[in-house]
Amino acid sequence: MTVKPILGAKCLKAIGLAAVIGAATPAATSAGEIAPGFDTWDDVLSAADGTTVNWFMWGGSETINGWVDKYFGEVVKERYNITLNRVPIGDTVDAVNLVLTEAQAGVTEGGSVDMIWINGDNFKTLKEAELLYGPWSESVPNAVHVNWNDPSIANDFGVSVDGLESPWGSAQMVWEYNSAYVSDPPRTFEATAEWIHSNPGLFTYPAPPDFHGLSFVKHAFYWAADDWSVFQKPFDQAVFDSIAPKVWAYLNDIEPDLWRGGQTYPAKIAALNELLANSEVYFGMALNPRRTSNFIKNGTYPDTIRTFVHDTGTLTNKNYVTIPSAASNPAGAMVIANYMLSTEHQLVQADPTRWGWGIPTDISTWTEAERAQLASYELGIATLPPGELAEAGLPEPHASWVVNMENGWIENVLKK
Amino acid sequence: MKLDRYSLKERLKIPLMVFPSMAVIVLLFGGGLVFGLLQSVGYLPVAGLTDFTFSHYVNVLTDPTFLRSLWVTFRIAFIVTLLSTIIAVGMAFVLREQFPGSRISTFVFQIPLPVPHLVAASAVILLFAQSGLISRIAVAIGFIDAPSGFPVLINDKLGVGITLSFVWKEVPFIGLVVLAVLQSVGPKYEELARTLGANKRQRLQYVLLPLIMPGLLSTWIIVFAFTFANFEIPLLLGQTFPQTLPVQAFQEFQKPELTSRPIGMAIATVIAAITIVLLVAYRRLARYSRA
Amino acid sequence: MTLSSNQQSLKKMVKGRGLAERHPLNWTRWITVGVIWIVVVLPLTALFLRSFAFRWLFPDILPGQWGLRAWDYTFGESSRVIEALLNSIGVALLVTMLAMIVGLPTARALGMHDFRGKKVVEWILLTPIIVPVLVAVMGIHIVFIKLRLTGTIWGVALAHLIPATPYFVLVMSSVFANYSPALEETARSLGANKFRVFRYVTFPAISSGLLGASLFTFLISWSQYVTTLLIGSGTFVTLPLVLFPFLGGGNAAVGSAITLIFVAPAILVLVLTSRSLGRGSTVMGGFGKI
Repeated sequence: MTVKPILGAKCLKAIGLAAVIGAATPAATSAGEIAPGFDTWDDVLSAADGTTVNWFMWGGSETINGWVDKYFGEVVKERYNITLNRVPIGDTVDAVNLVLTEAQAGVTEGGSVDMIWINGDNFKTLKEAELLYGPWSESVPNAVHVNWNDPSIANDFGVSVDGLESPWGSAQMVWEYNSAYVSDPPRTFEATAEWIHSNPGLFTYPAPPDFHGLSFVKHAFYWAADDWSVFQKPFDQAVFDSIAPKVWAYLNDIEPDLWRGGQTYPAKIAALNELLANSEVYFGMALNPRRTSNFIKNGTYPDTIRTFVHDTGTLTNKNYVTIPSAASNPAGAMVIANYMLSTEHQLVQADPTRWGWGIPTDISTWTEAERAQLASYELGIATLPPGELAEAGLPEPHASWVVNMENGWIENVLKK
Repeated sequence: MKLDRYSLKERLKIPLMVFPSMAVIVLLFGGGLVFGLLQSVGYLPVAGLTDFTFSHYVNVLTDPTFLRSLWVTFRIAFIVTLLSTIIAVGMAFVLREQFPGSRISTFVFQIPLPVPHLVAASAVILLFAQSGLISRIAVAIGFIDAPSGFPVLINDKLGVGITLSFVWKEVPFIGLVVLAVLQSVGPKYEELARTLGANKRQRLQYVLLPLIMPGLLSTWIIVFAFTFANFEIPLLLGQTFPQTLPVQAFQEFQKPELTSRPIGMAIATVIAAITIVLLVAYRRLARYSRA
Repeated sequence: MTLSSNQQSLKKMVKGRGLAERHPLNWTRWITVGVIWIVVVLPLTALFLRSFAFRWLFPDILPGQWGLRAWDYTFGESSRVIEALLNSIGVALLVTMLAMIVGLPTARALGMHDFRGKKVVEWILLTPIIVPVLVAVMGIHIVFIKLRLTGTIWGVALAHLIPATPYFVLVMSSVFANYSPALEETARSLGANKFRVFRYVTFPAISSGLLGASLFTFLISWSQYVTTLLIGSGTFVTLPLVLFPFLGGGNAAVGSAITLIFVAPAILVLVLTSRSLGRGSTVMGGFGKI
């Protein structure tokens, strides 16, 4: 709300918090330990036996909720005797905030949060506040399937992971359009603006801080910069100031011709989905390229919705799970994180008839049969071929840019 | 000796009866207000806040966003109170008389009363969204041909959706208060006025309205305070920006930035201050209406 | 306070309806009745239809395809509706019980005695009714974390107790105001002990009022959203918390199904208590908190 110093507000907060808490420095893994407090994986397994894990995750998707309960909840109960308590939250930042607030109140163990589905600036916030458990993610048994030398895995939005989180999926943004009304969707920002002006009221994007809305703004920044590689380095005010005005000008220019004249924006992606489903708008967006086909199948979308990507590419990122240092049950969380990396599980997760999420592990470590099974999966009616998606992939900006883009949008677009 | 003990017991009887509920309210509610106030001035050592400052209040009170939110909140509460009263009084005047179906209709009239606010919001979205049921009926009739032809009533600038949900809930509340007053005085004053030659309008103006006025005034304050303080309806049905004060307070409070929490508490304290003024007004009116 | 002023009014309304004369249906009455029925019944019907629709896209007035998918999901494990329902009921019962324990003596004192400081007590009771509970809950959050009360049923119940206690006390004090202690005296003089006096004299006399007040208190807890959101830390979920993400985007069929479950007890309570409504604006104002 108030005009905030745009420069690294979250940085300042993290530093301030670290100073306040002082004591909450994570225990480093000493030699011979697999993770802080555990000598061997067997120790972890026995500590996890019969426990409950509170996993805080974005709960806005029925598909994902049902899927997690079935393919994680039931499996980890049966194999490891762990009860998975999925805690649905509206936004990942709620879990981050809970960890920070508990730390502020002096809770250093027995905290409410055992595991968070996380990436980007939320991870950065917790890492800088030194409130994460670990390192652990490079030493769990199934870490052999993860290529930790790949910079797109070892760095989360440009922030070094350092063993404090473990990957469980990979995402890529795609645009959605209703082919009943739009035959040839615009594939550049210029063409999009043109389309919006000649078809007023039929395009919008969710308001940041919604993750999808933020993605839209990030894409606008990539488009406005001559060279998007500037966003790979940590935040630079001068660079930001040279690019941002073009972005705000673009977004304010299309605003009067957005859905509802830009007077308001959908508050979350689910609201945009609904608008697209009911033909209130003709465009949408998804962070899972296979989601659109699933939505057609489960009745959420009419079967004329298709996906496309911009000529300039779309952002890709990895999704991780992390464990707060105050977690009550780090062992149970590690067991689940380790199970996520198993090829058996990744094959289930990637199956488009179930969820169809991107694979974060290195499939060269898989057996021939496993790779053949992956290749046999059908694409789905609205899903782009993997080759086209891979070609369009762009790396996310360094996490330090995100908060500035978000606050900038609020000050320069929303409040204007 | 025995007498003394008895009177001591007698003297302690009332305080002991009153104590438990007072303790709950003073500790939980009063304590909450005090801790909130301390956080808003940056002083709550438990939370790591030790710099006493009024800067959060200065920031909040001089921020145009806050002022816009304050205005939006006031405007919505005022319109809701006004509209609900007009509709409720009109309906109460009809429902106080007996006619075929009046009994069951009075029951249906009360249904929204215990229905949670979230349900009202849920129904309003289903009916009044641009692709909602009413819009679809308009398409079927041929008034419009696309969702964009339907007026924007949810997440809109004027807060129509918010107003509709509140009015739906508050009309029966005000209506029942008015009905109760009308029923308790019965027809005797009206009959008297009629025999004295007062016409229908005069009976309304000089007999009925003065009768229901005191009850209405205190009801207004309650309705206004509830509308002013409600969180979930404006969160669901309001604009992205500007939001109402409770939503703004909570959202600031929930941000992970260390500086946001005191700002959220400062806004919350302003809300509390405004409603305390309403509380004082309510007590005055209640005294007046008893007299 | 207009606590007891309208005591008799609704009784009259129900029995004799005050104006005994029966009127024919003229057009004003037709319109009023029509508006009431449409405005109340249409939203509930729409919710009902939506919950059974598999695909209901614009501009269909009735669902294109029907199905039980939303209800299957609602009662399935991953929606957590059952868990939330049990939590909602559990915490509401706990709140009602606690409100009764702390509130009954106060209500009796207020309803049957005049004492010094009565005004102060009334002030304190009114404050949480007018001043938003959210403000206090935000302030006390950090203390609840320290005391390890967040995320527990006890923490949530204590938070709900803030709005529940004053309403319970106010409703019950108007019940006690109508209650004559003479019979208690008689029973005592006949040698009944305290428990027997309560069991056989006091309780039967106040029981219907107590039931109304309890149902009312139950509903106040039942409908709390933001207090549970904050104090429950996300790990203690109640029905409104599961419902919220489905509103305004999200699967509207599932949202409608959960809404219907959420609204059911409210209507049930209304059926049970409609006779005792209209007890004065402060008390009835409690419905506004719902």
